[in-house]
Amino acid sequence: MTATVLAVEHLGTEGDAGVALADVSLAVGAGEVVALLGANGAGKSTLLRAIMGMVPACGSLRLGGRELAGSGPAARARRGIGYVPEGRRLFAGMSVRDNLLVGSLAGRDAARQRLDEVLGVFPALAERLATPAWQLSGGQQQMLAIGRALMGAPILLLLDEPSLGLAPMLVQELLDRVRDLARRGTAVLLAEQSVARALALADRVYALRRGHIAGAGTPGALRASGILEHAFLGADVALSNNPGPGGPT
Amino acid sequence: MTAAFLDTGHRPRRGAAAAWVIAAALLALYAIAFASRYELRVLTFAGTQVLLVLGYQFVFGHAGALSLAQGAFYGIGAYVTAILGASYGWSFPLTFPLAIAAPTALAALVAAPVLRLSSHYFALATLGLAQVVLLAAVNGGELTGGALGISGVPSIAVLGWTLPRGLPLATLVWVVVALGAWLSHRLTRGLSGGAYGVLRGDAMAADAIGLDRPRLRFAAFLLSAGYAGAAGALSAHTIGVVSSEALEFPVMVTCLAMTVIGGSTRIAGAFLGALLLVHLPEWLRFLQGYALLAYGAALLAAIILAPEGIAGLLARTASRPRPPARPAPLPLPSRRVAGWGDSVLEARGLTKRFGGILALAAVDVTLAPGELLGIIGPNGSGKTTLANLLTGFAVADAGTIRLAGRPLEDADAAAIARAGLVRSFQTPALPPDLCALEAVAVARASRLACVGIGAALAGRDAGERRAQIEAEALGLLSQLGAQGVAPRRCAELSPAEARLVEIARALALEPRLLILDEPAAGLGDGERRDLAALLTALAHDGLALMVIEHDMEFLLPIADRVLALDQGRVIAHGAPAEIRRHPAVIAAYFGRAEGDAP
Amino acid sequence: MITAAQLVLDGVALGAAYALVALGFVLVLNAVGAVNFAQGDLVMAGGYGAAVLAGFLPLPGIVLLPVVMLLMAILGLAVAALAYFPLLRRPPSAVFISTIAIGLLLQNGALHLFGPGLRSAPPLWSGGQVTLGALALSRQSVAIIAVAAVLVLGQRLVFRHTRLGRQLRATAADREMAAALGIRVYGMIALTFAIGAALAGAAGTLLANQFFLTPTEGGNLILKAYIAVVIGGWGSIEGAVLGALLIALFETVVAAALSYTAASALLYGATLAILFLRPQGLLGEAAGRRA
Repeated sequence: MTATVLAVEHLGTEGDAGVALADVSLAVGAGEVVALLGANGAGKSTLLRAIMGMVPACGSLRLGGRELAGSGPAARARRGIGYVPEGRRLFAGMSVRDNLLVGSLAGRDAARQRLDEVLGVFPALAERLATPAWQLSGGQQQMLAIGRALMGAPILLLLDEPSLGLAPMLVQELLDRVRDLARRGTAVLLAEQSVARALALADRVYALRRGHIAGAGTPGALRASGILEHAFLGADVALSNNPGPGGPT
Repeated sequence: MTAAFLDTGHRPRRGAAAAWVIAAALLALYAIAFASRYELRVLTFAGTQVLLVLGYQFVFGHAGALSLAQGAFYGIGAYVTAILGASYGWSFPLTFPLAIAAPTALAALVAAPVLRLSSHYFALATLGLAQVVLLAAVNGGELTGGALGISGVPSIAVLGWTLPRGLPLATLVWVVVALGAWLSHRLTRGLSGGAYGVLRGDAMAADAIGLDRPRLRFAAFLLSAGYAGAAGALSAHTIGVVSSEALEFPVMVTCLAMTVIGGSTRIAGAFLGALLLVHLPEWLRFLQGYALLAYGAALLAAIILAPEGIAGLLARTASRPRPPARPAPLPLPSRRVAGWGDSVLEARGLTKRFGGILALAAVDVTLAPGELLGIIGPNGSGKTTLANLLTGFAVADAGTIRLAGRPLEDADAAAIARAGLVRSFQTPALPPDLCALEAVAVARASRLACVGIGAALAGRDAGERRAQIEAEALGLLSQLGAQGVAPRRCAELSPAEARLVEIARALALEPRLLILDEPAAGLGDGERRDLAALLTALAHDGLALMVIEHDMEFLLPIADRVLALDQGRVIAHGAPAEIRRHPAVIAAYFGRAEGDAP
Repeated sequence: MITAAQLVLDGVALGAAYALVALGFVLVLNAVGAVNFAQGDLVMAGGYGAAVLAGFLPLPGIVLLPVVMLLMAILGLAVAALAYFPLLRRPPSAVFISTIAIGLLLQNGALHLFGPGLRSAPPLWSGGQVTLGALALSRQSVAIIAVAAVLVLGQRLVFRHTRLGRQLRATAADREMAAALGIRVYGMIALTFAIGAALAGAAGTLLANQFFLTPTEGGNLILKAYIAVVIGGWGSIEGAVLGALLIALFETVVAAALSYTAASALLYGATLAILFLRPQGLLGEAAGRRA
């Protein structure tokens, strides 16, 4: 197993702001894509926000071995976490270039260089550097949001439902890029509602249900166990029996 | 005892009346036996300021609107008195009512456009209004005396008999103050006071329980103007001179300071704030001439450290008051009347766009009485948008909505709630400062037309009626297993508790159709079972229910029919068992692998 | 006989100073979502600061200006510390009130320190007029326009093309997200208050030569800034500057045609009309778009 970038142990939140999490433990290694699956209200977003320090939480959170508890979101970002929230939250009035540049705290030359690197990952953005963010299409906005998070050269990337509202083809393209990023060494923790895609992309999966980890393992193992169906539909539907979604990938 | 005295504006407590009587007696003693002529004049002036603050409390404290026109209304009252009294020789019985009527009329005139504005625009509009009034006074030539104003305001005279200055004038002023305080008490101590609390605490909550927000704000605005006019008239008689200074910003700011420092929603606060600020420069000689500076510092300290004012601080830190005796819970009178025919709700072709995104595309929904319809769908499928369109919190771009045959497309949220279509919210919308019982009780009172100025004057929102309404509210909370949270502030409830309170509140409105947005979120297993049983029982009684939920385990067993949405469209519609296995539903939740056609 | 063109020119000079006031006001508004009611009184404080300093230090106006701006920036930090940060968890109306209190303190502080009499600050560029054909403008007016232009453009430059500017804009747009990118948002907010106060100080120094300074000047100016922001569209920086220019032009022209009182009355009337009919102003609410 590769080096552990993020180690979460017995994380719990109050539930005042979102779903109450209880006793959540997970780990993400360098170069791994780990997916968080679960219905809405299961706590995926809350978990990511807790890792980012936006929601008060108890328990242990270690990034690259160092404890994160007690530091706020800005400090955690500076330690190397890139956060792409649900709904993207771009700075709507600012240009693509400005949105990207503001993601980097480095000096002018280093930032420019980083900008070129990120534009290499998302070439579509390079053609629209001066466009205000609100004028971009959904897919472009998502790329911009991820690009902005990458500007800080994070060791851990948190993605909250990046496929939301995007056409299927765009989603695939996006997730391919995420796979590339992981291959280059970034640890990726991804919350997804689209189960099939997440299973196709992830190295490991955690299933969340009502604030608890209901199951964990490789995509194959989870698919076979039936835990996912229970987590989503609460009943006895077997994924592999269905006509409709494409066959096993 | 102290707490009772200070909390009079909120809930009648034992000993409150006695405390007020004692305070009045002490004040009278001071006035008669100890105060010099000068001090008596200061006391009289302080009385006019109490009246001014009592008025300001309606619009600023209760309605929560930052009006900057209070000084202007005050000045108008003063000028009317001076002009009619000094220049035309009219007597008090004529000038006083006119001094009240004039600013009230102005308030009524500008109310419609001004009250619609949101807070920072409203403040500016009232500020602009005040400036216009000031300009009119300064440039009013002979009528207003220009910048110098009018001197020689006559003493108060009734039918030829002149009221001497000094103690008699002081007595009259303070009697008027007492009347004003009594009226203020009557209007705000009952559930109408709670209704204002909902209004300023959470506008969506106010709409959701059918409160007529514009009407409540209108009443508060006019009351504040009327009180200000009375205060201005009396201060004109006290000081004898009226100049444009009365219309300048320092008067407004002083009023604001007195209100904030004393306590913006408590009647005792008006007395404390006004008496304190008027007398402080008198007591502390070194403050003479530095009054405004002191007021500024005190206002800053108050807004940061004691936003509820001195009255609020004392009410909290004084001896812990007995918790109000809670009445035994009463069930709502059985009311399952038929008469809504076969169809409660018929919505066709509902469409809504947000910018370029199609949130809802030509969705049809129908409901019959006693049906429990489940709405499911992944994130972003349009479930909450649907709820918003049906309940008036958003306007549809296309489509029709009929509630028992009545078209609803153009109705606003409060009207829809009053018509019997009630909802709960995904994030509970409860007024933060009210306790849970009050939140439900105000909703009940709203349904029974027991809130508002008329109801308050008639006493329909207090006394026995209030006790009965609160008993019914407690009964509703008990039905949901939430009676334990009744005395707790809504801001302090956990999300699960808040959800239950919201449902109780919704039931208080005796809905025909209840739309619940994720009611089970955050509830434990036992609570879920109880809620499921309750919803089933309500449907059994004839209530039509639409339940939006993610938790299939909760929803599918209790629903009669299920509607599945995805990306704004209906993808499946049928019995729960079918929906659970429906390929489109499974595809929506589990996503499609690459290359699939939608 | 004053020609229309001359009036316009005079109006522009006045508008330049107003623009600085409005700019400081809207920057803070964007950064924290709350009205800084003390902005006008900060202008007055800047003017008095300039007048007092000029008494001690025999410096030319052009050197005095940056000194005053620096001192005012520090005052701006104090305002943030007293009136904004203690009220972080409270609704914006609380900041409205706390800044009203600060304004009251500044106004009456000035009244007691300097008395109600009139004061003035030294000019930036003294001695007569600049002529352009048939039009004439006092040198001080030219200086005002020049300084204001430099500051407004400077603000635009910093905000659009520097790292700090980007961080300030991000903080104003979405504070939580800015923090999640590692930006020290409280520092940004404090800095915005400092900049707003510095701009107010500049406006005060400039105005205090053309117009005599009184402690109550602030009340008038905050109203103008407020109106400028509403006219130009709540939250729009360009709109605030444009609105300020329009107000000044309107005042100058109407005052010449009718009277100063008429100008004020019509201005308030027009403001009320805009609030009722087109509350989103000319350039619309900048915060309307979501991405």
